Amino acid sequence: MSTSSTLRAGVRLRSRSGASLWKLQRSERVAGYGFVVPITVLFVLFVGWPIVFAVYLSFTRWSGFGSPTVIGVDNYTRMFSDPVAATAFWNTIVFALVTTLLQTVIPLIIAVLLSNVWRGLSVVVRTLLFIPGIISFVVSGVLWKLIYDPNLGTLNNLLKSIGLGAWQQHWLSDPALVMPSILVVSLWGAVGMNMLIFFAGIQGVDPTYYEAAEVDGASRWQQFWYVTVPSLRVVTAIVISLNLMNGFKVFDLIYVMTAGGPNHASEVFGTYLYSLAFGSTAGSIPQLGYGSAFSVIVMLLCGVAVLVQIVLSRRASR
Amino acid sequence: MTALATRAEQTPRLRARTARRRRFPVGRSFVAFVLLAISAFTIFPLIWLVLTSIRPANTVFGGSFWPTSVTFDAYVRAWNSTDFGLHFANSLWITLATVLGVVIFASLSGYAFAKLRFPFKNVIYVLLLATLMMPSTSLIIPLYLQLKSFGLLNTQVGLLVLYVSSSAPFSMFLMRAFFETLPDELIQAARIDGSGEFQIFWRIVLPLARPGLATVIIFQFLQTWNEFIYANTVLQNTDELPLQPVLFGLVGQYQTDWPTLCAGLTMSIVPVILVYVWMQRQFVAGMTLGAVKN
Repeated sequence: MSTSSTLRAGVRLRSRSGASLWKLQRSERVAGYGFVVPITVLFVLFVGWPIVFAVYLSFTRWSGFGSPTVIGVDNYTRMFSDPVAATAFWNTIVFALVTTLLQTVIPLIIAVLLSNVWRGLSVVVRTLLFIPGIISFVVSGVLWKLIYDPNLGTLNNLLKSIGLGAWQQHWLSDPALVMPSILVVSLWGAVGMNMLIFFAGIQGVDPTYYEAAEVDGASRWQQFWYVTVPSLRVVTAIVISLNLMNGFKVFDLIYVMTAGGPNHASEVFGTYLYSLAFGSTAGSIPQLGYGSAFSVIVMLLCGVAVLVQIVLSRRASR
Repeated sequence: MTALATRAEQTPRLRARTARRRRFPVGRSFVAFVLLAISAFTIFPLIWLVLTSIRPANTVFGGSFWPTSVTFDAYVRAWNSTDFGLHFANSLWITLATVLGVVIFASLSGYAFAKLRFPFKNVIYVLLLATLMMPSTSLIIPLYLQLKSFGLLNTQVGLLVLYVSSSAPFSMFLMRAFFETLPDELIQAARIDGSGEFQIFWRIVLPLARPGLATVIIFQFLQTWNEFIYANTVLQNTDELPLQPVLFGLVGQYQTDWPTLCAGLTMSIVPVILVYVWMQRQFVAGMTLGAVKN
């Protein structure tokens, strides 16, 4: 379609009578609803209503049989006297904050370094770093479980072969080491993706800023701190928020690697609510109400992550 | 994209100039060395995975890092003893059907939100947008109950419905951003020429949105192929399971047969690697667009 015919069409549209214009708008409205209704129906049935239902369930006691008993805020107060809930709370918060910090700072540094090296090398490194990010958490969890295996695992073998046999650990069965060990796997998977977001952001920085900084005699470090970092504020806000959210809702990786063990040492909200509802041990009664209370908390935490992004982006654009 | 490319070329050249002037070539090689070391650390587990899968079973523990002899027995064992083909096919059809569903729902609604005028448009849009990031961890309990009441529990269709409804809003958001870049005159002209609304969408708008569609397709493929929590919860019948829950189950079953386990894991990542290599450019563009537009 050429520009001239488009223009002519526009002129014709304006010269049409009001009645047929209204008819046009009506067909537009009909199409608009027709196109939007299917996704909206799906959304209401499988996202909107479940949110409402989770909130309702969180105020009830229910095993899934019969009908739920409304018990007010008992599920929420119960959390304070539940030692597993306390572990899950601290693990979730610390995991989210530490992964967010590491998965923001390390990718940022790598992205800055990448924009300073020979282009071919940059492409190779970017491709390699990104690969763990496209592999499922099930695969990476199982793979790292083998690597961490205390007797046969590669990590302990490697430590032994380089003379650091004393550093060998029961990586996933030592309560003090299990969370850091899982954190490394999360970092391994997340660096590539976050690095790419920063890299794209750096490519978008106006090069004249660097020229101006250089004219003013700024060192490389000063250029990084006073040009690169401020230019990446919006991108950084997005990365922080995405990582926070992924940390708050973490489930797959921990469920696959430890299922919250040993003895709840790596329990997070995700794994705990799952085991409450769907049972980690056979024969236990499902606690859908108490589990839903944790669902609601995860939702609220993800809401906080979104707010963090809004606040940070606002401040950045000021 | 062109603007990005030229900037990409300019910035390193400028930096290179700075580096030369400061006589700092050592720093640059050091940076290259650090980056290569990080890459090696990143890729090491995957190399180990593949190497373990091609070792003879009796040389797995205590052997050298590089296998002295190579065998593909483990692949045969993994394929035959776990009904791998069946689960692979399950994953493939569920993933492709999800991709198709998401593309249909997301492009129709993305177009309507970008270009059509109708009452309550913004209300519906904000409604979809507000819960774009609703985590599956939070919804798993009510969704399980919801599927149960619809009689869709333990069916692949139920899983498919969850996948499409939970992913479509995000893709709708991407497609809307894409459709907004198209000129309004194009659509108006087609209307004057007497095309129906669906015809305009199908014949004129959709073909122009191919790069956006490519992004949605790749993104959705990887996400659905890798999904675990819904697949592990909704389906109980072993024959209907897609790959991820099956791989999870292998851990206990093949606790000491690492080559078989590793062969299974390796086979499961072939499709995502293929998709990634095949459509890397669109994927990276889409990922960053998606993240930045957020």
